[in-house]
Amino acid sequence: MTSTTRPRALAAVLSLALAATAFASGAATAAGYPDKPIIMLVGYKAGGQTDLVGRAAARVMSEKLGVPVKVVNKPGAGGVVAAYELKRAAPDGYTLLFHSNSVINSEPLVMKRAELKPDDFEYAGMITAYQVGMATYKDAPYDNLSQFIAWAKKNPGFSYGALSPASRMYMEQIARKEGLDVNIVPLKGGGDMINAILGKQVAMALSGGINYKYPDQMKMIAALTTFRHPSAPDVKTIEENGYPLGMDSYTTLILPKGTPRPILDTLAAALKAAETDEKFKKIVAAANIPIIYKGVDAATDEMRKSAAKNKTIMESAGIQPK
Amino acid sequence: MEHLIVGFRDVLDPLTLMWVTVGVTLGYVLGALPGLGKATGVAVSIPLTFYLQPVAALGLLIGIAKGSAAGSAVSAILLNTPGEPSSAPTALDGYPLARQGKAQKALKMGLYASVIGDFVSTLILILLAAPLARYALLIGPVELCAILFYSLAFIGSLSGASMIKGLIAGALGVFFATVGLETETFIPRMTFGLLELNDGISLVPLAIGMLAVAEMVVQAGNLKTLDRETRAMADGTSREDRTVLASEWRRCLPVIARGTLIGSVVGILPGLGASVGSFLSYGATRRASKTPEKFGTGMIEGIAAAESADNAVVPSSLVPLFALGIPGSVIAAILIAAFVLHGLTPGPLMFKQQPRLVADVYAAMLCASFILLAVGYFGQSVFARIIQVPLRLIIPGVLLLCCIGAYMETSSVFSIYVMLAFALIGFFARKLDFSFVTFLIGFVIGPNLELSFRQSIQILDHQILNLRSHPIAIAFIVLTAVTIWLIGRGRTRKPYRTPERAGTASISAEAEYQPPSTGRNNR
Repeated sequence: MTSTTRPRALAAVLSLALAATAFASGAATAAGYPDKPIIMLVGYKAGGQTDLVGRAAARVMSEKLGVPVKVVNKPGAGGVVAAYELKRAAPDGYTLLFHSNSVINSEPLVMKRAELKPDDFEYAGMITAYQVGMATYKDAPYDNLSQFIAWAKKNPGFSYGALSPASRMYMEQIARKEGLDVNIVPLKGGGDMINAILGKQVAMALSGGINYKYPDQMKMIAALTTFRHPSAPDVKTIEENGYPLGMDSYTTLILPKGTPRPILDTLAAALKAAETDEKFKKIVAAANIPIIYKGVDAATDEMRKSAAKNKTIMESAGIQPK
Repeated sequence: MEHLIVGFRDVLDPLTLMWVTVGVTLGYVLGALPGLGKATGVAVSIPLTFYLQPVAALGLLIGIAKGSAAGSAVSAILLNTPGEPSSAPTALDGYPLARQGKAQKALKMGLYASVIGDFVSTLILILLAAPLARYALLIGPVELCAILFYSLAFIGSLSGASMIKGLIAGALGVFFATVGLETETFIPRMTFGLLELNDGISLVPLAIGMLAVAEMVVQAGNLKTLDRETRAMADGTSREDRTVLASEWRRCLPVIARGTLIGSVVGILPGLGASVGSFLSYGATRRASKTPEKFGTGMIEGIAAAESADNAVVPSSLVPLFALGIPGSVIAAILIAAFVLHGLTPGPLMFKQQPRLVADVYAAMLCASFILLAVGYFGQSVFARIIQVPLRLIIPGVLLLCCIGAYMETSSVFSIYVMLAFALIGFFARKLDFSFVTFLIGFVIGPNLELSFRQSIQILDHQILNLRSHPIAIAFIVLTAVTIWLIGRGRTRKPYRTPERAGTASISAEAEYQPPSTGRNNR
């Protein structure tokens, strides 16, 4: 035995030992999971829609799992900051992110620094959907997208409120195809949007579904999802209007890559309990948020498909990450 | 009215009253501790509201908001470290008073002004929520932009000894506010690739660094002198130093009335917020005073002006929430979540569908005003002793609280770095006599001004002549021009102002009473 091989042998023994402990601890967590409090990150500030659903889900999951599920708000860059924090966390099921899956399937398409892919994470299910759409005030002289386009042609220089790159993209695509003259007004957040619509400052604006809280003052013109909104089943989607631009987003339980499947299943089962929990149902119904549960496989599948579809939509619209 | 009586019956239930008291006390203590404030209080209590009855939950949250707005005056007066930016003008005169051994008097004035501002503004909310809300929608981005220009010009006159230095500090504040995603193209500005900066520099750590940490560093450098002063300071043995005298009440009541009115109007307006309210009120009071040069040396009117407006903003920012369902402030946005949680949608229908709960909330708010008076009265006799403690014992504790406060909002160490960076800037601002007050104003108003300006350009269809259909905006543009002219003229004339000239100055001071309207703020 020479002196050069000794360190190598030592390294081999060490790595074997490490692998053994890693395996042992992995097996132990899967069996005894969970035996300590779970940290649930939320990538938005406390008090918002996602935070509300997250806290309600945390309560149900905590009852089901028998350990506390503690919500920690870690806002920044639409959840990307929290997603990076999760990426660094141990894949042991004790740190998870409850967030819109847009952080992985949309944000990286517009944010250069956000290099997140569906395969960077594991998914333990989805629980609610966002009813994104184009909304306006109740007495506007149009009820659907084709009526709106006809109105817009007669009113060049009208205003449209946008909150994100995607919401600009929708109007730009429509305007390009129909030859509309539109002024896109930048808005900051849902409150600003409500102000702009109720004050009739804009003819239409992108809404994340908050307009359903004001049924007597606002109406939806077109759903920007691939499905019709449960809160307004008569309103057509953008795809039904002839634009293949529908993008769906769901609140999703996201975990670090390499989290063992049994842990994902345990968490998914706990999340599923929210689907039928009376208090959870009451809370999300009050905020007009539809419950759409997807398990581990369905959620993972949805992530891959939606990321690919959104990429096609944004790239063909000429939107580059900045 | 009969609803309100029922409301009082519901709220005067011992358990509900207890939660309101818990909220006020928690808010007051968090506000009084430098570095901690509303943000921390809300973070602590949101999970609690899930398990409480609606009235108790809302009472708790409203109590925190009211308590912390009043509590932040305590550290401003005693330690020169405002708990929140909106109490920065309180420190300008409160701290000198405390060093003169009149801490008790200053604290009492701060509390009374807070409670009066809060109570009157609550009454305005109850009586006028519905009628005022109609004006809310008259104020769109175009009008808001003009109002913000006016506020900036008016507050610009607060810049202290050198106007040039004040303007430089204000411009720097606007500059730092431009960090983050640009609102139309979504290109990150000056983020240096840091995702944490995408949403801009957060106000809480910035304000803690500028106001509290920097001040502690300066005081640490002055340790010996300040400690010698503290030993020599005979803390108010005489009644004169401990209580607010009748003559001072007479001088301060009009100031409080003006502060309350300014605070209430600012609260209803979109995009302004408590800091703008207290700075406007302080500025208006100084301009209306016969002895403006004495401000900053311990004028009790300064405290009355800042605190009454600061607290009046809180209830009136709920006007747009209750009347229209538009969140007018951070606390209003949180309240929406709490309302929704208990199956209620804030907005005009709320009055029809749930009149009893609305009445309960109103009653809880009125009760909170009185509880605030009691909690504040007992609280400050405890806090006032802090001034006798040697600084070397205070500084480490304050720095710890500052770190906690900066960390709590985003749960990230990055905020502590932001705090430290701005502590450095704050330190040099103090040493070189640049006004950190105008810096903060620039930072708070800057982003709203930029957003509303860009919105206005789009809404006006890029044609300046389209301003014709926005008379309110035109009025404010004219007012802005007049204010700048008056300030410029005031600067060139010495001595400042003879008693007769005070009348002219108060014209511009009264200008902000004009717009009754509504909205929200971003920060």
